[in-house]
Amino acid sequence: MTKPSAALGAVAPSGVHPQTLAGLLVLASLAILMLVGSRADPVFGMFAVLGVGIGVTLQRSRFCFNSAFRDLIQFRSGRTMKGVIVGMTVATAGFGVHMHNLLPNPSLGPIAPEAHVIPLSVALLVGGILFGIGMVVAGGCTSGSLYRIGEGYLASWVSVAGILAGLVLVSHHWNWWWQHAIRRAPVVWLPRYLGYGGAVAATLIGLGLAYGLVLWIESRGGVGVQEFTAPASVRSFHEKLHEIVAAVFGRGWPAPVGGAVLGFLNVLSYTAHMPWRVVGELSRWGNAAAAVVGLGPGPLQGTDELSACVVTVGGGVFTHGFLLNVGLIGGSLAAALLAHEFKWRIPRRPVRYLQSLFGGAFMGYGSGLALGCTAGAFFSAVPSLAVNGWIFAMALVAGASIGLRAIHWIP
Amino acid sequence: MLLDVRGETCPYPMKKAIEAMERLPVGEVLEVLVDHPPAIDTIRMAANRYGFRMNVEPAGSGEWRIYLLRDTITEVTR
Repeated sequence: MTKPSAALGAVAPSGVHPQTLAGLLVLASLAILMLVGSRADPVFGMFAVLGVGIGVTLQRSRFCFNSAFRDLIQFRSGRTMKGVIVGMTVATAGFGVHMHNLLPNPSLGPIAPEAHVIPLSVALLVGGILFGIGMVVAGGCTSGSLYRIGEGYLASWVSVAGILAGLVLVSHHWNWWWQHAIRRAPVVWLPRYLGYGGAVAATLIGLGLAYGLVLWIESRGGVGVQEFTAPASVRSFHEKLHEIVAAVFGRGWPAPVGGAVLGFLNVLSYTAHMPWRVVGELSRWGNAAAAVVGLGPGPLQGTDELSACVVTVGGGVFTHGFLLNVGLIGGSLAAALLAHEFKWRIPRRPVRYLQSLFGGAFMGYGSGLALGCTAGAFFSAVPSLAVNGWIFAMALVAGASIGLRAIHWIP
Repeated sequence: MLLDVRGETCPYPMKKAIEAMERLPVGEVLEVLVDHPPAIDTIRMAANRYGFRMNVEPAGSGEWRIYLLRDTITEVTR
């Protein structure tokens, strides 16, 4: 059945799967990256670890924001969305405590530093719709495309290229959007009006209602999927140990477990500096590459006044965002190898590459407008006790519905 | 009947599995070869909806073989 040596062409000591060896090697390389980063700044090492943790969690729980929205619309299945809601619930409590430490009195006007509070403009809506279309057409969102690179998906490289292209394009249009839509738009940060306690309570109630809504959608003709449960015959210490290893590294994690771990890592990330975000850093990569061929954007207006994933030009190589994104890909690669799930996955239909490219470009442009993707403008925004995360989610639903209609016509 | 959807990502493996389930002659087993882990869940959803019983087994690194058999006990209501 499994032919390990044929799969990787490697000679392994008897009994050790070559993918296990490769996975351990990747982990060792990531540890070196962490140590090199730590020499520059202790927080860099921490962000490398967080990135790896996020990558492992995304890969093991197959955490896909795209499927959270798409399956709810298409199948009335809330399996993944429930995991997303669990993750945001965990992060809401943690973010609330941390923001209180950063800014004890929220009623004075300023917003807690690095919180993902984004102006409520038409750019947020247009960005969410474009992103929703793009993620369904490409078959994965931005964090999804990054962790699938680690699993060996060739099309995800094309998606990321599309995302970078979209981000470069939106960087060129940025000043227009800033002047006409974003600059004068209001921000609604709940702690300013309700205090931290009230804002956390309101957000938790909102998440509870959202969970109830998912259950209601499922009850209207949805299809449930049974999560795997451990065999009852596990008794001896050896069997128990084996079962734990199988649950962590072998089988996929249930969505709520993945969501909770991701929410916890997000809290750690914010405590270290900033909530989990993906596309701000990607825009820096895209704009740096564009500048090499003379297509870089000029100075961007207003970006100093904004938080979350604002489009960026310049900066050094080792940023926190760089370590998060590179750690994410590495962590996913290590997890896929240790689970013996790594494989070069090559689409056979040429149209899939076009879908990845154009879906990616929609996601890039959309996330540039909305100041974030499903990670920054949604998963990290709702726990920032801001209203924009909820509005972005509604725009994503609208976009994903359009995207589903679009792929209906692509065989 | 064999359906090879390796290289495809969501929602295509599930979409093609549904098309195959609809065409599947009575009494035959549909065998689907996938290399996209989330497709195991989406095909399971489709199998539940279309009244099929499903079995999954690993088929090498990063690949799975899914067997789908029409469930004659469950009344299919669509």
